[in-house]
Amino acid sequence: MRRVTRFAAAGIATAALALSATACGASSTQSSGSSSSSGKGSLKVGIAYDVGGRGDHSFNDSAARGLDKATKEFGGTPKELTAKTTDTDQDREQYLDDLASNGYNPVIAVGFAYANALKAEAPKFPKTTFAIVDSVVPGSNIDSMSFATPESSYLAGVAAALKSKTGHIGFIGGVDNALIKGFQAGFQQGVTDTKPSDKVTVQYLSTGSDLSGFSSPDKGASAAAGMLSQGIDVVYSAAGSSGTGSIETVAAKKGAWAIGVDSDQYQDPALAKYKDSILTSAVKNVDVAVYDLIQSVHNGKPLTGNNTYNLANGGVSLATSGGFIKDIQPQLDAITKKIISGQIKVKQTP
Amino acid sequence: MSATTTAAPAAKTAPAKASRTKLSTPVILLIVAGALIAVAAVRAITGARDVTSSGQIGGALQMAVPVGLAGLAGLWSERAGVVNIGLEGMMILGSFFGAWAGWQHGPWIGLLAGVIGGALGGLVHAIATVTFGVDHIVSGVALTLLAQGATEYLAKIWFNTGKAATLGGNPKQSPPINSVPSITVPGLSPWLAHVEAHHWFLVSDLAGVLGGLVTNLSVFTVIAALLFGATYWVLWRTPFGLRLRSCGEAPVAAESLGVDVYRYKYAAVILSGGLAGFGGAFLAMVPAHAYNEGQTGGRGYIGLAAMIFGNWRPGGLAMGAGLFGYTDSLQLRNGGPAAHALLLLLVLLLVLMAVWKFSRKSYRQAVLSAVFAALLLLWFLMTDTIPSEFVSATPYVATLLVLALSAQRLRMPKADGKPYRKGQGK
Repeated sequence: MRRVTRFAAAGIATAALALSATACGASSTQSSGSSSSSGKGSLKVGIAYDVGGRGDHSFNDSAARGLDKATKEFGGTPKELTAKTTDTDQDREQYLDDLASNGYNPVIAVGFAYANALKAEAPKFPKTTFAIVDSVVPGSNIDSMSFATPESSYLAGVAAALKSKTGHIGFIGGVDNALIKGFQAGFQQGVTDTKPSDKVTVQYLSTGSDLSGFSSPDKGASAAAGMLSQGIDVVYSAAGSSGTGSIETVAAKKGAWAIGVDSDQYQDPALAKYKDSILTSAVKNVDVAVYDLIQSVHNGKPLTGNNTYNLANGGVSLATSGGFIKDIQPQLDAITKKIISGQIKVKQTP
Repeated sequence: MSATTTAAPAAKTAPAKASRTKLSTPVILLIVAGALIAVAAVRAITGARDVTSSGQIGGALQMAVPVGLAGLAGLWSERAGVVNIGLEGMMILGSFFGAWAGWQHGPWIGLLAGVIGGALGGLVHAIATVTFGVDHIVSGVALTLLAQGATEYLAKIWFNTGKAATLGGNPKQSPPINSVPSITVPGLSPWLAHVEAHHWFLVSDLAGVLGGLVTNLSVFTVIAALLFGATYWVLWRTPFGLRLRSCGEAPVAAESLGVDVYRYKYAAVILSGGLAGFGGAFLAMVPAHAYNEGQTGGRGYIGLAAMIFGNWRPGGLAMGAGLFGYTDSLQLRNGGPAAHALLLLLVLLLVLMAVWKFSRKSYRQAVLSAVFAALLLLWFLMTDTIPSEFVSATPYVATLLVLALSAQRLRMPKADGKPYRKGQGK
């Protein structure tokens, strides 16, 4: 009997491992060489997506768009890997190592979660150009793509202040890390610069290393419900997929507006039912940055150092779908100009 | 209901331990009334209206149900002697399969699929632990890993292709599911909302609590509440339940009386999986409208904690889940200020504790409680809000505190987690 027990334990453990491995294997081997003629082969782009990967309707998809555009123009065979929720820094290092040691150049890491992995890997491959989205990693062969999301959030704040009737506005952040605090800072400043008497209430869904706040629509919904009950009528959520919960809740209340983030959420088919309550979205165009980098490598002058994508170069913007901010567009345009010219300095921390 | 739990259990139920008698109905009502007065006082003093608002109570209920169902699932399994740490995995299966069937055929079919998905997870756990005698913890952990991997893999295939993708599905998320019907009692709800709006001491608080329970109540929540009653009835009032519990207390004795222990364990663990699956499906369909990767967020484990808090009984478990839901919802809805108000409640609780311990001549504990009460009161008076890191820890700290205070009274089923082979008593 004991042997049977051990055998079964081993069997189950193996099955579990095999299945989790399958889940990662499936994504790892998914290389889309569809548009490449592979004859040229000079440009081998390696890209490691964050959790969700291609098809997430968010920043991974945006990065994929940039990659597709570049592949179409410059040819070559890209290799795509996708991270899992359970991945550790070591797993992520392995992804980057796989790409770089197989001769892929540039190697693009999508998402701030790759920062530690990149710090460890980049020095090992000095001839490869690395890039990271949403984080700054020092190194002579690293292109740190940061997005001036405080700037787009500032504009979102202006729109919120102009559209709010109660003068009470809400901000929901997924996790209270530096990145999301930047969203909060810009948004608050945008509101108070426009209407100094307006009040912004801030709520985070999780703190520290607990990243569940990015994937808990129920928490987003609770936070939004709490805000609505306090008389808040515009809610901006920078909280990944938790934001869908808050958008749904806000949509149920007449006259209240939700502001989306990262991608143009008005266009998201999953939110089609609620799109009439989505005022605008603070969009981050990762595709612009990814394309820029691939182009620079293709031209033999790889981008390195800290490159910021902001309102000026189209890296971030405010979505206009739905036409709900059409009436205030002139004001928004004027402020955009002021931000670009440096007349308005947008805060990075609250 | 959930509002009462924060104040009641630790301070006042404890005398029952000494006399070893069950709480009678008048005593319970007295405790509930006392708790309500305490909460109403806190609201009046701090002005944190969300402490008893109907929105808060409704939100708390919604947060409590998945945790409560997970706890109930654990209760069934552990009462039959099988530790079920795979609840998290079964919840993941429930949310995944619930959403998969739900977006195509509506929430009711989704609920069914979620329950079946969870029950399948239970079946795997039962085969491993009952038939093959695998260590319960090992099997449970393996099951959770398996569920995570399998759903991640299947989500890529099922949610990111064809019609699902055009409707908004992606590898992390299912297409949206239609809403589950909800109940609002006509006449009563608006009237309660009207009373609540006056902010009268106690009366409005009561209206808020009741209003939260009868406004926008999801049908799934009602079913979950009924399941609590049904569990109590089946496990403690029927021969089937008696036999099932005997498998968790003394399987060898049960066997000697002709009970087929294996069959009862199988039934309990599969039912347990089904309940956890319901919890997962609830998460995907009531507070949200889609499956999201990582949506369960450890609620299976919190459900286990709620079950232990409830001393392996449905009533106590419901209180534990309610306590967690209440604090979680409070911190999400109103953050710092509301958690700040809870500090005062904690002070009240500790003062009561100190008085009680003093009257029982345990002076050291009395002084300790009094000192903590004084420190907390000082903190309360010196600040207006609580740092957000502490705020989001509120539900966990509250659960931990109550667990620590009531731990001495807990008794788990005697043969819980112990290996059992047929005929081992011979």
